[in-house]
Amino acid sequence: MGTSDGKVKGSTKIVDAGPNTQRWNVAIVSEGYRESEMGQFAADAQQFANTLLAAAPFDRLRAAINIHRVDVTSTDSGAKDPKCGTSGGTGAKPKTYFDASFCTQGIRRLLVGNSGRVMNVVKKLVPQVHIALLEVNSPIHGGSGGSVATFSKAPGAVEIALHELGHTAFSLADEYEYSRDCRQGGHEKHSQSEPSQPNITTNKNRATTKWARLIKATTAVPTTVNANCKVCDPQPTPVPAGTVGLFEGADYFHCRVYRPEFDCRMRNIGMPFCAVCQQAIVKKLTPFLPT
Amino acid sequence: MVKTRKAPAKAKGGKAAVKVRSKPSAASKSTKPPAKKKAAPASAGSTKAVRLTFSYDGPAVKLVSQDRVEMTVPPTDPLKGFGKQKGFWAELRNKQDKTLYRQVIHNPTRNDAEVFPDPDESPEQSIAREAAPKRKGVFVVLVPDTDEGDSVTMCRSPLDKTGPGRGIRAFASKPAIKFRRFKLMK
Repeated sequence: MGTSDGKVKGSTKIVDAGPNTQRWNVAIVSEGYRESEMGQFAADAQQFANTLLAAAPFDRLRAAINIHRVDVTSTDSGAKDPKCGTSGGTGAKPKTYFDASFCTQGIRRLLVGNSGRVMNVVKKLVPQVHIALLEVNSPIHGGSGGSVATFSKAPGAVEIALHELGHTAFSLADEYEYSRDCRQGGHEKHSQSEPSQPNITTNKNRATTKWARLIKATTAVPTTVNANCKVCDPQPTPVPAGTVGLFEGADYFHCRVYRPEFDCRMRNIGMPFCAVCQQAIVKKLTPFLPT
Repeated sequence: MVKTRKAPAKAKGGKAAVKVRSKPSAASKSTKPPAKKKAAPASAGSTKAVRLTFSYDGPAVKLVSQDRVEMTVPPTDPLKGFGKQKGFWAELRNKQDKTLYRQVIHNPTRNDAEVFPDPDESPEQSIAREAAPKRKGVFVVLVPDTDEGDSVTMCRSPLDKTGPGRGIRAFASKPAIKFRRFKLMK
């Protein structure tokens, strides 16, 4: 198992915006691709690069970003897919380099590889790496966050990678207001402590809240208030999409914590990053732009 | 143009070389706000970095390696007004304990996990959280490599013992406190 089940082939800079020492370096690493499938990984990695660079605000930060493809072959295709209680699982046990597996800790869609092994490989091939992602050659839906964002080839799974990139690279918080679902107890009121992340706040003062400069004078503050803190706020947005304000409900709690827009990639995968998340990303990547 | 780099040698999995000095700090001490004097922008234009790789197993964090790398470091997170904030972050400090650089981190030592249901199974909810008490892995902290930088202090909110967030790191409600300090190797 593990490193005896494949080979590190090398890395290729597939998006070259300049010297690695001066740019933000993303590494996309293969898992569960056999030698004969590395051409497919090249296409998959390029597709990921295209998706990333088409997403705002990365579309206007292209000059700051290098993307490296890290080719690692595996003996077999796919990822381990153990029988996962009543949730399914094929029982497949392919031999792969990073030992990626679904059903991690008994959770069917939790797809995790050996992040330490990934970082060891990437640090050798791309010493200036800022963020590594693991693309798993499986059509089963799944993924996970952490230092190495992991995602499968199921339709839409690349969105998992973009959401996790928000956490790992840009310290963005989750903007959803529940844990398992909207009716679960214990998520009524957020504590008074201000979160350290840039995209959630407990401060509803228009003048001093974190993203005050992005709130128009004509926008009500708070913009939405949850009338029943026992559940998620069911009301539709009262303002046009893209309006920045203070929307109650975020950080796994229904009340007393606010998010900047009604929806965002950090609240629902498949959505674009909201303006405040975009601003945070731009701030982090501006030093990587050519002078 | 595509540039290719061959693997320098067979990369071995597992542990990186461990050459670290670490000093656990008193868990009860609260984080110290930065001194009033404006901190130097430690990362601005810096292309010298120290990459610290940590392993975690549950809540326990160990420093696995320190590497000096020629690379650009992202700008610091706010150096003022974070003393009572909750969350997880790393601070580069000088010998006088002044914070020179700070990086907010999505808490890697959580005991739950973000899960993404198949859209066919859960069309209304694209993300959910599930208990995952045995999480382990690595995470990386990048700080500027400066003459002044002396140590890296890790801060996180302590677990709530009562209330809705009891025992779950993602819901920890109190301001962060420092829990480990790692001396930088010169």
